[in-house]
Amino acid sequence: MSRLGAVPLLLLWALPLLLALAMLLPAALDGAAWRMALAHPQLWPALAISLGAGTVAALIATMLSLVLIAGFYNSRTWHGLQALAAAGLAVPHLAFAIGFGFLVMPSGLLARLLVGGEAPPRWVTVQDPWGIALTLALALKESPFLLCAGFAVLSRGDKAGRIRAETRAAASLGHAPGSAFLRVVLPPLLRELRWPLAIVFVYGATVVDMALVLGPTQPPTLATIIWRALNDEDPATNAMGIAMTLLLTMALTAALGGVALLLRAARRGLRGLLTAGPSPLRSPRVLATALGILALAVLTLAILVLVILSLSPRWPYPAVLPPAASIAAWMNMTLAPLWLSLALSFAVAAAAVALAVLWFETQPPARDRWVIGIALLALALPQLATAGGQYRLFLPLGLTGALFGLFLAHLTPVAAYVLIVLAGPYRAFDRRYVAAARALSAPPLTAWLRVKLPLLKAPLSTAAAIGFAVAVAQYVPAQLIAAGRWSTLPMEAVTLSSGGNRPLTAAFALVLAAPPLFAFLAAALLGRPRWR
Amino acid sequence: MALRLENVSIQLSGRPLIQPLSLDIEPGETVTLMGVSGSGKSTLLSHVAGDLEPPFTAMGQVSLDGVALDGLPPEKRRIGRLFQDDLLFPHLTVAENLLFGMPRGPRPERLAKVAAALAEAGLLGFGDRPPNTLSGGQRARVALMRALVAEPRAMLLDEPFSKLDADLRQTMRSFVFEHIAARRIPCLMVTHDKADAPQSGRVLLLREGRVNHA
Repeated sequence: MSRLGAVPLLLLWALPLLLALAMLLPAALDGAAWRMALAHPQLWPALAISLGAGTVAALIATMLSLVLIAGFYNSRTWHGLQALAAAGLAVPHLAFAIGFGFLVMPSGLLARLLVGGEAPPRWVTVQDPWGIALTLALALKESPFLLCAGFAVLSRGDKAGRIRAETRAAASLGHAPGSAFLRVVLPPLLRELRWPLAIVFVYGATVVDMALVLGPTQPPTLATIIWRALNDEDPATNAMGIAMTLLLTMALTAALGGVALLLRAARRGLRGLLTAGPSPLRSPRVLATALGILALAVLTLAILVLVILSLSPRWPYPAVLPPAASIAAWMNMTLAPLWLSLALSFAVAAAAVALAVLWFETQPPARDRWVIGIALLALALPQLATAGGQYRLFLPLGLTGALFGLFLAHLTPVAAYVLIVLAGPYRAFDRRYVAAARALSAPPLTAWLRVKLPLLKAPLSTAAAIGFAVAVAQYVPAQLIAAGRWSTLPMEAVTLSSGGNRPLTAAFALVLAAPPLFAFLAAALLGRPRWR
Repeated sequence: MALRLENVSIQLSGRPLIQPLSLDIEPGETVTLMGVSGSGKSTLLSHVAGDLEPPFTAMGQVSLDGVALDGLPPEKRRIGRLFQDDLLFPHLTVAENLLFGMPRGPRPERLAKVAAALAEAGLLGFGDRPPNTLSGGQRARVALMRALVAEPRAMLLDEPFSKLDADLRQTMRSFVFEHIAARRIPCLMVTHDKADAPQSGRVLLLREGRVNHA
């Protein structure tokens, strides 16, 4: 097939990303911008908070996910856990942050359930100066992502069978399940998870929408300072924002490099642990069950509190339920952002899947590492950098404020996820099925449509759903590229959350959460095998 | 030490797969159970090893040296296993693979056992190599030594030679059976190839769920 099949993906996705990064270079050499950035009184405390929140959130999310995987690996609960993680993944960060905020704030559901009393407790649980609320919300929301990445490793065809067989061999050598997991499953799992872990860390340290809702204010996170600078009317302040973005990116790279060096230094000790011999270590089933129920409860309550709030114009403390329900908030909603988000996300997800399939069908597998490398770059770099660069790239081209510009900006992260999710299953497809169809005199297109497409429908629909969910949740690129001319769901939700209308904010957070959930449900139905 | 199966039967979703079977294997003896693929012979091994999974179920009693094994998890049975694939852990070196199942103890002692096992396998100097740099025959020998240095009280072999080249098979066969015999432990092997069985051992035939002497 033609090599030209690579062109659409490179032109619409790789080029806008790489050129955007190149646009950051002149800013990196802008001395005035750096002086202004370094003179900013809140720079260092804000950087410390960002790194702290990102690090602690990534650590908690990692521990939580690994305990859950260790506790339920090879158990009957395994598939149920996968479904729950997928549901958790589907909830947009912003919607969860809004629900989490309403849950833990002084007059929130948590205080009503646990504290009571005449007046709300005097605790600072939202926008606290230490960023604890932001960190906890990040940790909880990132766990499903790590869980899904772990499941993908441990249930991927040949590899899954191999690791299962190895745990059986470990058992025959005297290792109890916990010991076998620690020594046989965990090492390859962590190796495969290093990119997802880096993505989680960078995401947490640079997130904007969640930090605007839950993060501290004096000083705020560095991402918040950068965000205000990028949205400023003054070009010098914009340039300072870019310089700060580069500084944050360098700090994150240094932190990740430091972790890699630490692990390298600790390698000898870790290897000794691997070969210390059989141990009766059990799998942490009880701990995993407890933590899993706790995490699930918080996720459910955060959504539940949104439902309650959206239906209650008045909710006096300490009543656990509001005195009366009203659908006023739902009736007052402007629906234009919903329609735009749905149409845009649908177009972007469909385009991403089509571009990825075109790539996989026309390019040799050896070239995948280039696009996968670019995809990892797109996800592991702070969105402030990629979208900030894209703003500078699109401005002279007349693409800011244009729908096509919005499309391209959304395609950057969406196609990256779709490519990463699809590469494994697509390349693992046994080509002999198509050969067999051709030998039965099916023309190429017929063979593809009637054999390959049905066999790949599960990964294709999952990739499309993930792409759609990622597109719906985009805040930073949407706000920057829309240039005030368009409003998407997350933009509207952020605006509302800084205002005082709680029922409307809650209703909007739910509207933001609904489309991805339906997308995952649709994918589960579409991808269902004809039989098991 | 003797491995004893008393009235052991296997069911698939409740339907009988293997009729009740009784078998005594003496220390140092290797019994070969032959059957076509799908006859349930590997499932029987899984049951003896303790990792039978649904939809398979089993009845009857398995005991080792007079002690019932039923209900014991695989890691507590101390039954070594060789599979069709060598299943050397790819993230560990050859020596680390050998250390993996070796009972805990002072490190110098354990390292000495590794060296001895490598020497027995004709692989001195291979300890620090990753498994994927070894040939198929070398890997098969490491897999056997790994099982033996774990000090098993019985061995189960699941078509251990089926993936080896024809010329390698003969040498590997004698290597395996000599080492198992030298350790005086009972051994049960399943295979579909009569040529796999040791010269003098008992051979049983599994056909349509029933076991007969060959």
